[in-house]
Amino acid sequence: MNVVLNICRFNPEVDVKPYFQEFTVLVEEHNTVLDALLQAWQQDPGLSFRRSCRSAICGSCALCINGRPGLACQTLIRNAITEDGRITLEPLPHFRQLKDLVVDLDPLFESLKAVVPWVVIRDNHDSHMAPEVARKLESPATCILCGVCHAAMDDPGEVKPAALVKGLRLALDPRDVLGAARLQLMKVPRDILRLFIKNLPEKCPKGIMVPEDVCHL
Amino acid sequence: MLIHEVLVVGGGLAGLMAALVASQKADVAVLSKIYPTRSHSGAAQGGFNAALGEDDSIESHIFDTVKGSDYLGDQDAVEVLCSEGPEVILELERMGVPWTRTPEGRVAQRSLGGAGFPRACFAADFSGHVVLHTLFEQVLRRGIKIYPEWHLVELLVEDGQVAGVLAYDLARARLEVIRSKAVILATGGYGRAFAKTTNAHANTGDGMAIAYRAGAVLSDMEFVQFHPTTLYGTNILISEAARGEGGYLRNYDGERFMVHYAPQKMELAPRDVVSRAIFKEIKEGRGFEGQYVHLDLTHLGEALVAERLPQVRDLAIRYAGVDPARAPMPIEPAQHYSMGGVRTDVWGMTSLPGLLAAGEVANVSVHGANRLGGNSLLETVVFGRRAGHRAAQLARQEPWPTLSAATITRAYESWSSLLAGRGQVVQEDSTFAIRQEMTNLMTNQVGVFRVGSELEDAVNRLAVLKERYQRLKAPGGMQPFNYALMDYLEVGYLLDLCEVIARGALRRTESRGAHYRLDYPQRDDQNWLCHTFVRRGEDGPEFSNGPVTITRYAPQERGY
Repeated sequence: MNVVLNICRFNPEVDVKPYFQEFTVLVEEHNTVLDALLQAWQQDPGLSFRRSCRSAICGSCALCINGRPGLACQTLIRNAITEDGRITLEPLPHFRQLKDLVVDLDPLFESLKAVVPWVVIRDNHDSHMAPEVARKLESPATCILCGVCHAAMDDPGEVKPAALVKGLRLALDPRDVLGAARLQLMKVPRDILRLFIKNLPEKCPKGIMVPEDVCHL
Repeated sequence: MLIHEVLVVGGGLAGLMAALVASQKADVAVLSKIYPTRSHSGAAQGGFNAALGEDDSIESHIFDTVKGSDYLGDQDAVEVLCSEGPEVILELERMGVPWTRTPEGRVAQRSLGGAGFPRACFAADFSGHVVLHTLFEQVLRRGIKIYPEWHLVELLVEDGQVAGVLAYDLARARLEVIRSKAVILATGGYGRAFAKTTNAHANTGDGMAIAYRAGAVLSDMEFVQFHPTTLYGTNILISEAARGEGGYLRNYDGERFMVHYAPQKMELAPRDVVSRAIFKEIKEGRGFEGQYVHLDLTHLGEALVAERLPQVRDLAIRYAGVDPARAPMPIEPAQHYSMGGVRTDVWGMTSLPGLLAAGEVANVSVHGANRLGGNSLLETVVFGRRAGHRAAQLARQEPWPTLSAATITRAYESWSSLLAGRGQVVQEDSTFAIRQEMTNLMTNQVGVFRVGSELEDAVNRLAVLKERYQRLKAPGGMQPFNYALMDYLEVGYLLDLCEVIARGALRRTESRGAHYRLDYPQRDDQNWLCHTFVRRGEDGPEFSNGPVTITRYAPQERGY
């Protein structure tokens, strides 16, 4: 089937402001938005977008699909296409557009540094962990740092969701010295935290579920 | 010019491990063409082999690996790999890796192909991902400088010694020289040389090809691993863990056909054996639509699939429209891993002083003619650690290698003029067209089953593609985020490697591990129990043979 991709273009070296350009591509409905983008790229090799794993594990191809942040490689054409056969692709909101669909990711990676993003290992840790405790770490540890949760917030303000997920995953880790103290470190009120945890699964491409009991640490 | 004592190229598992170790004693930076957490190490699902179990032994791990390699692995290197496995797993555990646990709280282990014991430490089926992110956390902790979205373009060699690199910063569209005492390549494999591959778009063999162009020796490049179970059509990886957890392979008649090929190991025979079996079933008319077979997990129960294989389940539902807890998955083999690479010793040292390599880009050689599942992740951390250690040692003990203004100017000017290109964005011929022909050629003629006449034809056609490539102009010039320009470079790397792979495969007139010649179906220890070395000569690759290190295990017939 033919699909019209309506892609937000911007070249900082020549353009006054972003504009939209249409590409007609031939795809199957079970193909992904990334497959469609790769075809548009063949039509205009100057089109810029990030991609790598094409299986929703590297987080490169995060962008805005019909106004909703997501991964291009994880979104099937049949789920993205509008009734009139179009898909609009824009860079992630709340990030600076560098070129076409490429945004500045440095603030995302930089934001991690505020939460001491590593396990501060206990001296007496003996390499054991109860399986039920280990299971709690599992889902938050699948974060791919794609930036979609950040882009999907109405107003991220001071809350940096990727860093929050990292901080919460570490707070749940019995090997970590900081543990519950991480919640103070993150300076996010408990009610906001609860809401964040509740809304995360539907926004996150990996459907991350942070165990609610982290709020009771 | 930028200056770092140790420069690591590649931000996957091997690269980050090397950087962490080297940073304890030297100034280190990581240069990577994508952000480190985007590296393809993160797509690895199954696990890290290490003989931790009470019934298991390092000896047994060594034997399984040697046998799996079809006796081409160097046994001294295999011994290092397996001996350091247990300690490196515990080191990762202390860094914070969220391993799946046994009821007693120990790191859980599962069975993968060709192993005598459940030996692969795992975190559900996100094993590569969680370790990659844990190492990245440690890189942040140590404050190691990262150059993300910088592409290596040339190793700067002066008087036979690597003295730094020329790199291209994609965002700022400019070339930079980085002077170093030691460069560690950890750039992974070249899966994108094949039309059917599990590999990411980024896996274009850059480091391997650039080392080859700089004069380093590559080895055993004809040995290419084809993973038996990738989703039919998209070739997205379905982990060997799916069979490790008890999955069956079935043909059109519903038969577990592995009984005819590996009656003891069945689905958990090594990958070369299983991939050949699948293609044989399809070829003899027992596939579905003449294209694929089934990987059946339906007897395992939804709970186990959800707990142990959540990613596999998601991938199958999304990309194949099949819930593996309820229906079998359509699967076909596809290129997955490069056994060959830049030849190194057990400390990661290559044939070029100042250049080290670790992980898939390297050939040390622990996998020989066929790698076992769970051994590549182990290799990345064991040999990444060793390369980092040796590089730091070099940084402390050696003076700065000479890097003359003449070398810098030559490299800078030739690359500036090449990249500026002045080529039209849309040309009559294109990297897209050349890439498509190259990848189809490799999958169809340099794949699981090889034959002399087709390999010869492949070599000839690759030469024509190379001529066409040389007539192209670099597209679009040095502009920020000009991915077409990077694509142009990457196709050039792949063409160099394809030539070496195809010619190596034509040259080796025997069948061993993943290299199977229909016209020479037997292993030939008399003539071919040897490594293939290749160096770039004026008229193309120059091949020679090198000895295999055999310490404990004399070659035997390899049955499963």
